[in-house]
Amino acid sequence: MRNGVIVFIAAFIALGVSWCGFVLAPVMQLGTEKQAAVLNSSDVYPIGRPGEANQGLQVYRANGCAACHTEQVQQSGFACDVMITSAGTNPPAVIAAWWRMQTNFFPNEMTQRFYSVIPNSGGVPQFPFERVRKEIADIAVESFQNVGAKAEIHIIAIGPDIERGWGLRRSVAEDFLYDQPVQLGSLRAGPDLANVGARLPDANWQLVHLYAPQALVKNSTMPPFRFLFEVRKIGNAPSPDALQFSKAFAPPAGCEVVPKPEAKQLAAYLSSLRADAPLYEAPFTPIMTKP
Amino acid sequence: MNDESKSSNSSRSDGEPETVRSTTPIWIILLTLMLLFLGSVYFDHHSGWFSSKVYSPYTSKDEVELYQPKSGAAAQAAHGRQVYQFVCGACHGVDGMGKPGQAPPLAGSEWVNANGFHRLAQILLNGLNGNLQVEGKDWNLNMAAMGAGLSDADLAAVLTYIRTSWDNKAGAVTADDVKAIRAAVGGHPSISAAQLKTIPE
Repeated sequence: MRNGVIVFIAAFIALGVSWCGFVLAPVMQLGTEKQAAVLNSSDVYPIGRPGEANQGLQVYRANGCAACHTEQVQQSGFACDVMITSAGTNPPAVIAAWWRMQTNFFPNEMTQRFYSVIPNSGGVPQFPFERVRKEIADIAVESFQNVGAKAEIHIIAIGPDIERGWGLRRSVAEDFLYDQPVQLGSLRAGPDLANVGARLPDANWQLVHLYAPQALVKNSTMPPFRFLFEVRKIGNAPSPDALQFSKAFAPPAGCEVVPKPEAKQLAAYLSSLRADAPLYEAPFTPIMTKP
Repeated sequence: MNDESKSSNSSRSDGEPETVRSTTPIWIILLTLMLLFLGSVYFDHHSGWFSSKVYSPYTSKDEVELYQPKSGAAAQAAHGRQVYQFVCGACHGVDGMGKPGQAPPLAGSEWVNANGFHRLAQILLNGLNGNLQVEGKDWNLNMAAMGAGLSDADLAAVLTYIRTSWDNKAGAVTADDVKAIRAAVGGHPSISAAQLKTIPE
C-alpha cells in the first residue's frame, strides 16, 4: 500500500479527535464535580442515598425500569415573577404604577397568568408581572419600591416537564453524583421519576403500586412486578409488612402479600429520588402552581 | 510502436489509480467558510465555553449569575413557599384553605396560630391521626409524617411560611428550633388528636 503512513496518521487523528470530544472533554468538564451548597441554605447537595435505597438502584437497573422511565427533567427557559409582599400605605399609587408599566412594557399582552390580590389592599395584585425578563423585573421592583410597596423577584424554570409537575428545574450533572450507574433513561412510556420521592413520599404507596399499578392508577400501562412479592398463607399472626388492597386486587382469603427485600429496596430507592434543590447552575426561587 | 502503446494503456487500467490534481471549485470553499462561521457563532452563543456551571437554556456564566435568587428574608419566605407548594399544597391547598375530605384549612387555624410552634412541628415530624377540631369543624383524617424527610432548614422555612401566610400572625421558626424538637421527639409514632392537646404549645 502506498501512503500507508499517511493513512495511519489520518485514522489516528480522526479517532483521537473523537476520543477527545467524547471522553476527555466531558471528564475535564464534569470530572471534578463534588457536593455543592444549596442556594440560600446551609445544606449541601446531593446527599448519598442510604444503604437500602442504594441497593434499590440495582433492583431498578435489573428490572429495566429505565426502559420506560426517565430520570431527567428538561427545561426550555427561565424567567422572573415579580411578587408584591406588602402593598405599603398607598395602594392606589401601586396599582397606578403597575398599569403604567404594563402599557410601557407590554402594550399587547397579558403579563399576569393567575389573578390574585393582596388581601385588604384594594386590589393590589400579588403577582403583577409573571414570566418576564430580569431587566423588566428589576425595573418593576424598583418602581414598586418608589411608591412604598415591597416587592421581590422569583426566579423560575419553564418547560413542559416543569408544567407537568415533574420537577422545579432541569436536571444537572450534580444530581447523579452518587448514582452508579446513572439511570438516565431515554423513553417515557411512564412519567419521569427524577422527583418521584418528593411527589409520592410514601414507600407503602410505591409497594402497592409495584404489586398492582392499576389498583392506584386506573388505566396505568405499567406491568405489575408481582415476582418482587410473596403471596403466602397467613401464619399465627398477619405479617406487619403485609400490604392492603381493595377487593379487586386482594389476594385469596387467608393469604397475604408480603414484599420481598428487593421490593423494599426498590421502594426505598424510589422514595429517595428527589432533585429539587436550587443549585448555582440551575437556579430558581419558588414554584408557581397557583389554582 | 503498437506494442508499446498497448502495454502503457493496460498498465494504466490495471494498476493503482493515480490521484489527479484539480482545483477545488470556489463555491465549495465559500460554503465551507460560511458553515465554519455559522458554527462558531452558534458555538459562541450556546457552548457556555465548556463551563460545568452553564447548562442550556442558559448560554453564559453571566446569565446564570444574573438569575441567581437573592438571599435574606425574601429568600427565606420564597424557600418556605416552595417547600409548602411542593409538599403540603396538594392537600392543604396553595391558598391554605384546605380541601374537604382531604385536609383541614391552615389559614386562620387555631392550631397554626398558637403561641408556640411545638404542636405544629410535632404534627409535621410524626404525623397525626384521629378526630381533630379545626375552626369549629371536625376532621377525622390521617396525616403522614410529611416533615420527617425534610431538612431542618426546609422544615423551619415551611413552618415559618405556614405561620405567617394568609393572615396568620404567629412567629417565625428557626432551623435550630426544629433541630431541638426533632432531637426530642423525632421518630415518635403518629400522634393522636387527644395526645396533641397534652403537648405544651
